[in-house]
Amino acid sequence: MKNQRFSQVVGMLMVALLAVTLVLSVEQAVAAAGEINLMTWGGDFIPREIINEFEAETGIKVHYKEVTSNEDMQSLLEANPDQYDLAVVTDYMVDILRQTNMLGVLDKDQLPNYANINPVYHGPYYDPTDEYSIPYAVSTSLLLVNPAAVESLGAQPITGYNDLWQKELVNNVVVVDWSVEIMGVALKALGYEYNETDPEKVAKAREKLFALKPNIVRFETNTPEDSLVNGEAVAGFMYSNQAVKGVQARPDLAPVFPVEGMPIFIDSWVMSKEAPNKEGAYQFLNFIMRPEIAARIADLTKFTSPNKAAEEFLPEDFKNNPMLNLADEVLENTSFYIAVDKVLDEYEHIYLEFKLR
Amino acid sequence: MRMKTSRFGTFYLSLFFVILYLPVLSVILYSFNASPSTAQWTGFTLDWYRTLFEDRVIAASFRISMEVAVITSIVSAILGTASAVVAMRSTAGMKRAIQGVMILPLLIPEVALGIALLIFFNLLNLPFGHFTLVASHSLFCVPYVYIMVQLRLKEIDRSILESARDLGATRWQATRTIILPLVTPSIITASLLALAMSLDDVIISTYMSGPRTTTLPVHIFSMMRVGVTPKVNALCTLILVGMFFVVGLSQLFTKKRHKEDL
Amino acid sequence: MQTLKRNLLAVPILVWLGLLVGIPLVFVFVLSFLSRDSLGTIVFQFTLENWQRVLDPIYLRVFRNSLLLAFLTGLVTIVVGYPVAYITANLEPKKRALSIGLIMLPFWISSLLRTYGWMILLGNAGIVNNILLGLGIIDKPLPMMYKFGTTLVGTAYMLIPFAIVAIFNSVDKLDRSLLEASYDLGANRRQTFFNITLPLTLPGIAGGFTLVFIPALGLFYVSDLLGGGNTIFLGNLINTQVTRGRNRPLAAAFSIAMIIVVLLVISIYGKVAKDDAEGLFL
Repeated sequence: MKNQRFSQVVGMLMVALLAVTLVLSVEQAVAAAGEINLMTWGGDFIPREIINEFEAETGIKVHYKEVTSNEDMQSLLEANPDQYDLAVVTDYMVDILRQTNMLGVLDKDQLPNYANINPVYHGPYYDPTDEYSIPYAVSTSLLLVNPAAVESLGAQPITGYNDLWQKELVNNVVVVDWSVEIMGVALKALGYEYNETDPEKVAKAREKLFALKPNIVRFETNTPEDSLVNGEAVAGFMYSNQAVKGVQARPDLAPVFPVEGMPIFIDSWVMSKEAPNKEGAYQFLNFIMRPEIAARIADLTKFTSPNKAAEEFLPEDFKNNPMLNLADEVLENTSFYIAVDKVLDEYEHIYLEFKLR
Repeated sequence: MRMKTSRFGTFYLSLFFVILYLPVLSVILYSFNASPSTAQWTGFTLDWYRTLFEDRVIAASFRISMEVAVITSIVSAILGTASAVVAMRSTAGMKRAIQGVMILPLLIPEVALGIALLIFFNLLNLPFGHFTLVASHSLFCVPYVYIMVQLRLKEIDRSILESARDLGATRWQATRTIILPLVTPSIITASLLALAMSLDDVIISTYMSGPRTTTLPVHIFSMMRVGVTPKVNALCTLILVGMFFVVGLSQLFTKKRHKEDL
Repeated sequence: MQTLKRNLLAVPILVWLGLLVGIPLVFVFVLSFLSRDSLGTIVFQFTLENWQRVLDPIYLRVFRNSLLLAFLTGLVTIVVGYPVAYITANLEPKKRALSIGLIMLPFWISSLLRTYGWMILLGNAGIVNNILLGLGIIDKPLPMMYKFGTTLVGTAYMLIPFAIVAIFNSVDKLDRSLLEASYDLGANRRQTFFNITLPLTLPGIAGGFTLVFIPALGLFYVSDLLGGGNTIFLGNLINTQVTRGRNRPLAAAFSIAMIIVVLLVISIYGKVAKDDAEGLFL
């Protein structure tokens, strides 16, 4: 009796299961006219409230596919270019996607608000003719320092990368976890440029880097500022949006723009070559390039806005924040990581040796 | 005969549970933290619960994750148990073949499996969504069910099965009346594990989900760049409370059923 | 004929898993012999370069570190988990279900959050340090984070239910009359445990070890967060090469190498455990 019931239940479950899987597998149709699919990092990288407003205003439904890296986006876009309309990727990925022919040319006639973009950001290396990308969020890497703690350790005040090597800072430095950036720190500290290929200079940078190891307490890409907030590190090399959050949490922390110069990143909108709803995508891009919308996005995400017209709508504390409102002389001292592919293999190897020390 | 649990046993088990739940309690505690970061405690707030209830995205991704996890664990329970029973009955060579195939999904690094399946399903023109998620998740869940079930099957007295057959039972009857009741605890525990694994998978889900099917773990991991807020802690707290409720209810339920049986 | 019929049922299982895992496996294998261009795009050109690089001493150290971590994780989960499984299996049915439920519950919470949970506990300004400081036991925070041991604790924590459940299933089906017989013959608890219980539950231990050892090789965010990224394990290496390293053929070679190593390890301890190890693979 009991067993009969058991098999009945199992049988029913199996039928239900089949039905559900069948229904669910057809549920995924191609995007209808009133929908756009976009893809980028999650959280509030594109603030939900902005998306909600766009949906309310235009009636276009936005599907937001969340991913964790540029490379995930590349894989997904290559697999299904007809499933995605828009994506936000970092500068170097624009370059790659453009060269692998994954991107559609943006029709500027459909984008009147493109005029709001600061001309400083026109014609970057990854898209010299501005055909494929629209800058969305600008960030830099800089040093976040706890000046009082540095002093109490008996170290000199930190003004640039070279100061991170002071032996007083042993076990007190946190850095983001990427070979190219950490090699960049060593190269800059020696007075060289990013992504140096000259074997002699690379060898010197390698030695220099190895000497930094005892000072590093932690490699962390996502929340390095926490180490300064909770006091386990006194100096950190991190992205500007993270440093902004660190200072918010602990006002006694201070940003330092390294005298040697620093890297800059531009996360940019791109359109899939086979975007199913180009029209909706243009509407969305226009929407987020409106000055007041762009200003709100910048304030919510803590990234510098490339939108010139947005500046007057920015709140005072944003405008007064040197990490967000980049001064011209700071901006001049920044550079992209160009031609990463030429050095990546070697830098990864050096970085591995560095970590395993 | 069940041995009485010694005092040391009770102590050890309690200690284990304390350690098991310490990180969970910190997760719960920090769902009430006013600061968005785990680096410092700045005060008590219920704001994260408020924002959680306003967030339709996190709710949608949780629903998708639950759907996928439930279907996956059912599929895996059926396939894993069937495989174990079939393996028990097959010839030694076939049994080896099944065991060999079962270990494969555990061996391949998740990234490699995820990307390879992305290419493969794409060649087959399958739409990415629930179906691909369930298919891929069941790949790494079935082996777990299989192992757990066959651990128990191994010691089944073959003579019982044979006498059942001698008494005229069909193979299916023998399976149903002797084997299934015996392995049910394994199936249940293994399905719970499968559910947890599916609910927690990030890497394969990243590649297997379509433009509209972000699962909860992918949602959480994708927040890392801009910061995982205590809103997620709040959600997990609610899930945990809900689960405690379910466990409590099932305790009551089993108590009742025991009485009925008597 | 009878044999054929007996084996026929196994065919769908083999085909299903064989297709969905076998084909990706072949992809990965082939990929490990291919090249890529500067953009990271795969080029269909045969090369042994990836495999040469796998043998680079620095990568061998990564393998050694990962195997050590995975082995220790297996050991810790078995040693800690065995008593839990054993005690649970001996509880009365109701308490037993409760215990199993309590063991499973935490694993319904995102593992990333649970990892953060450990950071909240063990950090410099964490709960444990605050309690110890408050009690006056220490006068400055104990540095507990970003060490190999922290990674080990985190990894073992993530994987321990697999060990417990495997051992539980093995202990639970023990023939109690054997234990009774042992007691009747005058053996004490300890003797009974080591002479009867332990040998009979060896398959559960071996199965649990396998289920912990293999995933422990592939976990990466636990060592990133709790280990502070100070060491690199196979999981991190493969993940980096797939993403920012833009070298998928190399990642493929590492993956295949890892599979080979795991198979070797399993077959070695399968031989050591011999008859009792029928519960494991190979």
